[in-house]
Amino acid sequence: MSIHTLEVLVENEPGVLARVAGLFARRAYNIDTLVVGPTENSEISKMVIQVNLEGHSLEQVMAQLDKLITVISIKELIDGAVKSSKHDTQPDYQN
Amino acid sequence: MTTHVPTVNGTAMTGATSLVKSLEAAGVDVMFGIPGGAILPAYDPIFDSTIRHILVRHEQGAGHAATGYAQVTGRAGVCIATSGPGATNLVTPLMDAAMDSVPLVAITGQVPSAAIGTDAFQEADIRGITMPFTKHNYLVTDPNDIPRAIAEAFHIATSGRPGPVLVDIAKDALQKQTTFTWPGKIELAGYQPKFTPDNSAILDAAKLIAQSKKPVFYIGGGVIKANASKELAQLVEILGAPVVTTLMARGAFPDSHPLHLGMPGMHGTVAAVTALQKADLLITLGARFDDRVTGKLSTFAVNAKVIHADIDPAEINKNKFADVPVVGDLRETITALIPALKAELSKNRADLTPWLASMNNLRATYPLGYALPDDGSLSPQLVIERIGKISGTDTIFTSGVGQHQMWASQFISYEKPRTWLNSGGAGTMGYGVPAAMGAKVGAPDTTVWAIDGDGCFQMTNQELVTCALNNIPIKVAIINNESLGMVRQWQTLFYDGRYSNTNLDSKRVPNFPLLAEAMGCVGLACDNPGDLDATIEKAMSINDQPVVIDFRVHRDAMVWPMVAAGTSNDEIMIARATAPDWDSQEL
Repeated sequence: MSIHTLEVLVENEPGVLARVAGLFARRAYNIDTLVVGPTENSEISKMVIQVNLEGHSLEQVMAQLDKLITVISIKELIDGAVKSSKHDTQPDYQN
Repeated sequence: MTTHVPTVNGTAMTGATSLVKSLEAAGVDVMFGIPGGAILPAYDPIFDSTIRHILVRHEQGAGHAATGYAQVTGRAGVCIATSGPGATNLVTPLMDAAMDSVPLVAITGQVPSAAIGTDAFQEADIRGITMPFTKHNYLVTDPNDIPRAIAEAFHIATSGRPGPVLVDIAKDALQKQTTFTWPGKIELAGYQPKFTPDNSAILDAAKLIAQSKKPVFYIGGGVIKANASKELAQLVEILGAPVVTTLMARGAFPDSHPLHLGMPGMHGTVAAVTALQKADLLITLGARFDDRVTGKLSTFAVNAKVIHADIDPAEINKNKFADVPVVGDLRETITALIPALKAELSKNRADLTPWLASMNNLRATYPLGYALPDDGSLSPQLVIERIGKISGTDTIFTSGVGQHQMWASQFISYEKPRTWLNSGGAGTMGYGVPAAMGAKVGAPDTTVWAIDGDGCFQMTNQELVTCALNNIPIKVAIINNESLGMVRQWQTLFYDGRYSNTNLDSKRVPNFPLLAEAMGCVGLACDNPGDLDATIEKAMSINDQPVVIDFRVHRDAMVWPMVAAGTSNDEIMIARATAPDWDSQEL
């Protein structure tokens, strides 16, 4: 079990929660908790997401999140620097 | 995409007119679509626009046509549909474009904003539906937001890693009055693609390349997207290492080049697959380690270090760890790599001769090939090979998905980028005909052939009506083996020859030449190898009408080589139960 906490600044616009939640669901990332709140800038909201990695790399989760146009910035709270993992990140499968 | 500030800036108009002025300002010259209730207000100003609107017969055709146009021109393709079923019919082309990184802008009408969420007539949450496979999407309910949404859509679709963007516009936003204001430079806080690679990454890559004794260039479709073929050719010449081009990269590097080993992957050449497996360095440019290339990932290129250059940071370390990641535009990356590599090679140059000799030996020993049917019937591979030879390397080829697609990638020689269009990531049967239509619109003076299967053709052939009526004279070769051929091949190999639901009976029904004639095309048929060249030449001589040829081919031909799904690339088979004779190879 590997839980990391991400602070994600997003555009405050309709559908932004669905974009983030949908990304986690379709890439099989596991959200433990998610809190959304305002910031002092009314156009920007803050999400605090606890992700349980369960075999995914934090680097990949953050990179995929960053591809969402409505995601402005992502930083990891608590654990500090993100490291690349020196191994193939996907298990074998038959497709 | 050329954009300019339109002369109508600051004038009052409806949202619908604002949409059309926005598309004109974005440089759109053609779009493919079908009107309907919710988008109807937009079709009134479309009637007066300089933009050519091509009325298709199914929205899926509009989407793939826009993709074909985009793949040929490098510009964004545009499709337009109404709400509900019109919009959902675009879902497959949008997913297809996302998988193959195609710049696409889809415009859909939505029910009036007051009706959203009420299950109104022809209401579908197309923004929600397309979230997973659009690069971004919009729901516009305020007419003042239309120009900005359109400008952003084109900016996002065409920059960075290209992809599809959908703009859904409520009917009342199209009907209301607004003042047209075209935005200046688009700045998005959450979207800043990185074009210029880090110099340190370039230097690290150059060092690794110069040290390598067994390097291979693993070339993906990104090279074509970045218009980097010329730069790639220079880089390859400097190093003199072998090159493989993936299904999406066919044409990025000339097939005739002596360093080209062909396509890697599930149906790749023995030399290309083995080059990746035995390399000590993969110079990966715009490729993404798809399962169809890597085979069983834990056994893929196990002794290779990896340089991975891509404009999308999320591709780095997604499937395969990169020792040297290089994030940036590929043309900039390769341009920077050329002097850096020259400098490294002047200090230290590994001898690649033994590596090249073993790869050349593999290529000579295991060339692509096929056996002609014993019964004298038509060979599908021969048909495709002859079309390629007779039509020549200036031709644009599209394909459907399946055996004919693999043969078209194997037995046609591609010398230039943007001459091979197919559905690589999504594997969309039915892509071939509408993509050829869009390609021909984008390159009207070029011969465009769709190499299609009898199964694929029956999914989207209605667009031949569009082609016939709009002077889009494409040529379609139906490789008719009266089967879902690739599925049948898997049933032969993995399901004891139990052909569950793969027999299409399409040598009996439909009558393809008659169907073609009914759609305003010339219909031809060929089932005798003796008539093959003459039939192709007949099709080549007709340039004022679409032509469809029903090539009635042997049904038991199979695609080889093959790396069976889930197995290692090391287990590549050159024919059924026949592996290469590895003992005779020094690798």
